[in-house]
Amino acid sequence: MITKSNPMLPRRLTILGGAALAAGAAAPARAQLTIDMTRPTFEPVPIAIVDFSGDRVGAQIAEVIRNDLQNCGLFRSISPSAFIQRDIDAHSAPRFPDWRSIGAAGLVVGQVQSGGGNIKVDFRLWDVVVGQQATGLSFNSQPGNWRRLAHIIADAIYKRVTGEDGYFDTRVAYVSESGPGNARVKRIAIMDQDGANNRYITDGRTIALTPRFSPTLQEIVYMAYGEDRGPPRVYLQSVDSSRRELLGNFPGMSFAPRFSPDGTKVVMSISADGNSDLYEMDVRGRALRRLTNTPAIDTSPCYSNDGSQIVFNSDRGGSQQLYVMGAGGGGERRISFGEGRYATPVWSPRGDYIAFTKIGAGGFGIGVMRTDGSGERLLASGFLVEGPTWAPNGRVLMFFRGNPSSGGRTGSVGLFQIDITGRFERQVPTPGDASDPAWSPLIPQ
Amino acid sequence: MRLFKALATVTAMVLLAACSSEQQQTASAASTTVTPGSVGDFRQNVGDRVFFDTDMSTIREDGRQTLNRQAEWLKKYTNYPVTIEGHCDERGTREYNLALGERRANAARQYLIAQGIPASRIKTISYGKERPDPVGSDEAAWARNRRAVTELQ
Amino acid sequence: MPLSLIRGRILPENGRLAMKALFAMKPLLSRLVIVLALAVPAAAAAQRVDPVYIEDRLNQLQQSITMLTGQIEQLQYRNQQLQQQMQKMQTDYEFRIEQLEKGRPGGAPPRVNTPSTPAPGPTAAATPSAGGGGDQLYHEAFKKLQDGDYAGAERGFKAFLQGSPRHALAGNAQYWLGETYYARRDYQNAMTAFAEGYRTYKGSPKGPDNLLKLGVTLAALGRKPDACAVFAKFTQDYPRATDLQKRRVDQERQKNTCG
Repeated sequence: MITKSNPMLPRRLTILGGAALAAGAAAPARAQLTIDMTRPTFEPVPIAIVDFSGDRVGAQIAEVIRNDLQNCGLFRSISPSAFIQRDIDAHSAPRFPDWRSIGAAGLVVGQVQSGGGNIKVDFRLWDVVVGQQATGLSFNSQPGNWRRLAHIIADAIYKRVTGEDGYFDTRVAYVSESGPGNARVKRIAIMDQDGANNRYITDGRTIALTPRFSPTLQEIVYMAYGEDRGPPRVYLQSVDSSRRELLGNFPGMSFAPRFSPDGTKVVMSISADGNSDLYEMDVRGRALRRLTNTPAIDTSPCYSNDGSQIVFNSDRGGSQQLYVMGAGGGGERRISFGEGRYATPVWSPRGDYIAFTKIGAGGFGIGVMRTDGSGERLLASGFLVEGPTWAPNGRVLMFFRGNPSSGGRTGSVGLFQIDITGRFERQVPTPGDASDPAWSPLIPQ
Repeated sequence: MRLFKALATVTAMVLLAACSSEQQQTASAASTTVTPGSVGDFRQNVGDRVFFDTDMSTIREDGRQTLNRQAEWLKKYTNYPVTIEGHCDERGTREYNLALGERRANAARQYLIAQGIPASRIKTISYGKERPDPVGSDEAAWARNRRAVTELQ
Repeated sequence: MPLSLIRGRILPENGRLAMKALFAMKPLLSRLVIVLALAVPAAAAAQRVDPVYIEDRLNQLQQSITMLTGQIEQLQYRNQQLQQQMQKMQTDYEFRIEQLEKGRPGGAPPRVNTPSTPAPGPTAAATPSAGGGGDQLYHEAFKKLQDGDYAGAERGFKAFLQGSPRHALAGNAQYWLGETYYARRDYQNAMTAFAEGYRTYKGSPKGPDNLLKLGVTLAALGRKPDACAVFAKFTQDYPRATDLQKRRVDQERQKNTCG
């Protein structure tokens, strides 16, 4: 049971069998340990997460899990100070009445064993209502990976309760902003989904914008200005180094890059004589293929989840609207017909929705529509809300929200997330002002 | 509506020559402090920027006057290559505004080329909504931000 | 060549610049240049040929093309919506006429005045319901079909069929699933769905409709001999089909010049 491929990556060892089952019927008329996210209303699931035993890091792991679950809006983490049973053991059945009486529907316990430069973490999720184990897993990794292990456990709990894949073991790339409005420093940063492990990918000497992850998370593409008024160009950079490559050397501006789902291509806008069209570049061979050819602005392209189509925005009909075409270009058709302008379309990883920014007379909005343009719904609105990006499970969006500037001072801007029912919006912590988030896929295990 | 606006600007062009020379005279009369042919002269007496309507890249009547003056000045002082910066207000999305800024810069460039400035002398760059001047979130600030700025190098 | 035409007419002292300006407008459609070639000479005679003037004309033409593009998009969209509405109404009418010809069970009067709320399922009244969950799925999907949400209806009927393949309404669901494709002109999938409906639910009340629609779909795909074979099979398999269905088959046979 030793990891073979990469010792840095957490490795799931085993599925823990049910510990001694406590007999006892389900308590009626209580909160349940399952949740149907598609229902119009539901109560957050009350869940008790006990500090993991065996090592000091156990308490930190529990705190990360609490934070993840509480922040996603579907759970309510019960304060540990309310816990009655204190002598709980990670491998034997809890005293269910103690947990029922504090209103818990779920109970998470775990144990950490460290030694030999290794860390082993077991956890169990108990269905308190029914009185049996809901899930239990064991992981092995290096001690430095404890945060990732905590996120992976939170994902397992999320999946068990909602039936959907989780999104806690992910990263977010974004544009970190600082300084005065007319000389603002904008550089690319990457952090864990919960705001931890923040680090900067570009040095901030020139403006860098619109970071996007490759499907393997190994690389990002983004746009950056050149030194000495060089035009903005698209760069490809490994997330683990500061080395970057220019993705095509064009006389004009190239911008709005995005990877294809298989990572072999990047679609982007290239402008010539003031006119922006869409192009696709083969990442390895750097062959360039033109996808649109109109006298209009064609930009913000995004592949469909299966890579067969591209959605983008264009003002070819007089105002910014959304269009869908085949991934090789051609067959363009407009899909947005509501009031206002539509921009930054992003295809859901599950293929059921397209999220977008909408600009109306009153302000900005973040919305979703079906991929044929029907069933439009606005989820968030404000003075400035822009640039949605999907969590890998296609059930949560992140975007940025800005406040008006006044008295020569730039309004603050930050990252927010919202689930696609629009019920639960919260700010994502960042060290400073932040915009243009890009949510990564789940980190490969 | 748009078409009408564009037509109006075309007809206004006929009156252009008289207007601009008049303005230029008053402008140069007002300034005494800057050296003719300097960057300061260009900014102060010629005007380094033109403004655009919302979501538009058509050079307006006031912009034509400014660009006519710029062309005259650049023909006189031929040692400056220029870069035209295109900018937008904050009421658009980042990527679209980069493209719109480029379109605005290019509109100003084409105008100068049509006035006889060699194309090789004029570069363009778009800053989208990333470099507001002034910083502000009201109609007045937005109107000033929808601009193309001719920078001497 | 339109370009040489321009060069011929307007090349006085400013001609080279004019050409430069023209070539600088690369993104413009060549159509514009043709229009320009026709438009410029008259103007050129009247006033001095000014590169700014040409630039302006190009911009104006580009703007009007953009405007027209937007209008065409809107019209296409509205047209598509109307078509969907028509198809919905047609489905509705066909269903109503069919019900009338069959004679409505229970002697309820036909609700001709409430086109927006037709009976939820063609044979719902005639079949005993088997479990509320499945029924609800079916009715929801049918509602979506009526609302013109074909993708939604498709998902609904599929989910229903997956969950309750032996439900009394399964044959109906299979038929309407085919209709969701047919309405979207996805004849390939419609063909598969109708064929499946005929194969699996041959004896269901929708069996004849499945076969009839399979023929119609084949004809739409240009496979006339196959369509004719299906219509022949119809007469053979369903001698007791309703008059409407028989009439429809006859019509289709004529239309496709079946022997």
